[in-house]
Amino acid sequence: MQLDVFNTFRCTAADNGILFYYTGEFSQNVVAAIGDTLRQRLETVGAPQTARRKVFSTFVEMAQNILHYAHPGDAEGAPKEGALAVGRDGERFFVVCGNPIQLEHVPRLQEKLEPLRRMTVDEIKAAYREQLRNEDHEADGVSKGAGLGFLTVARDAASPIDYHIAFNPENEHGSQGRADFYLRALI
Amino acid sequence: MQALYIPASNETPEIHFDYASHQLAIRGESYPENAMSFYAPVRASLQSYLEAGHGGAPIRVEIALRYFNSASTKLIRALVAMLNATAVAGRKVILDWHHDAEDDMMIEFGQDLSEEHNAIEFHAVAQAEACAA
Repeated sequence: MQLDVFNTFRCTAADNGILFYYTGEFSQNVVAAIGDTLRQRLETVGAPQTARRKVFSTFVEMAQNILHYAHPGDAEGAPKEGALAVGRDGERFFVVCGNPIQLEHVPRLQEKLEPLRRMTVDEIKAAYREQLRNEDHEADGVSKGAGLGFLTVARDAASPIDYHIAFNPENEHGSQGRADFYLRALI
Repeated sequence: MQALYIPASNETPEIHFDYASHQLAIRGESYPENAMSFYAPVRASLQSYLEAGHGGAPIRVEIALRYFNSASTKLIRALVAMLNATAVAGRKVILDWHHDAEDDMMIEFGQDLSEEHNAIEFHAVAQAEACAA
């Protein structure tokens, strides 16, 4: 990369309020290390305690989603890869993430996320309580958690969470049963 | 019965179940990669303790979690449900639910837990913000 291009990259990140950006392999060690760094960064920029807590929680849910559900790639036991950024937009903070997913998981994601985007805060809290008491969730063969991840992100967000699924037939993932999944929460 | 002690790590809480004195404590943060595998032995240990009965001695529980992730949520609730079943059967169980004074989510979660498991004597204990580091 040429230094003038890196300068553009850096300025673009700054113009968009980016406080933290990571791309690459996700492991539990990476999540813990980023978590520590992120907490320090949020303290340095003077984020209020409540925002710090919500940004951290949203970060953990998104990072562990990448860890658990990112498309594993072609190689056996290949690390899970993705990207995650935290930034500031006026009085708000945002957490965004992106990672490759299996094409067959697209409808499942849409079914989970579309209703969340239309719910009020009270409806999200009610759905959270209901899922907390849902004893049937353990039968879900895909989920590796409590089925509360997206609800937790939605609960902490100040506005409906945004998602985008990119089908890029031209890129390296295109023809291999993958899509790129993006998620954004504003706090 | 021997105590269960698991020291805290960066992403798992300290577990100190001192069965001899009937004091059970969970303190710290909980966001392990696999919450199920972290809590399974905790659950099994608590189950053996509760089944032993110990003459119905009152149990004092302290839960002081600054943060837990979504996968830990259900498992923490499951521990409280086990204690509630014991309380329903007549053994006194007191739960001190520590939370940061301004952490609304943690306060609400505690309230929901106590309403759902109302055989437990529940105390919400507000901590000063300084403890939230």
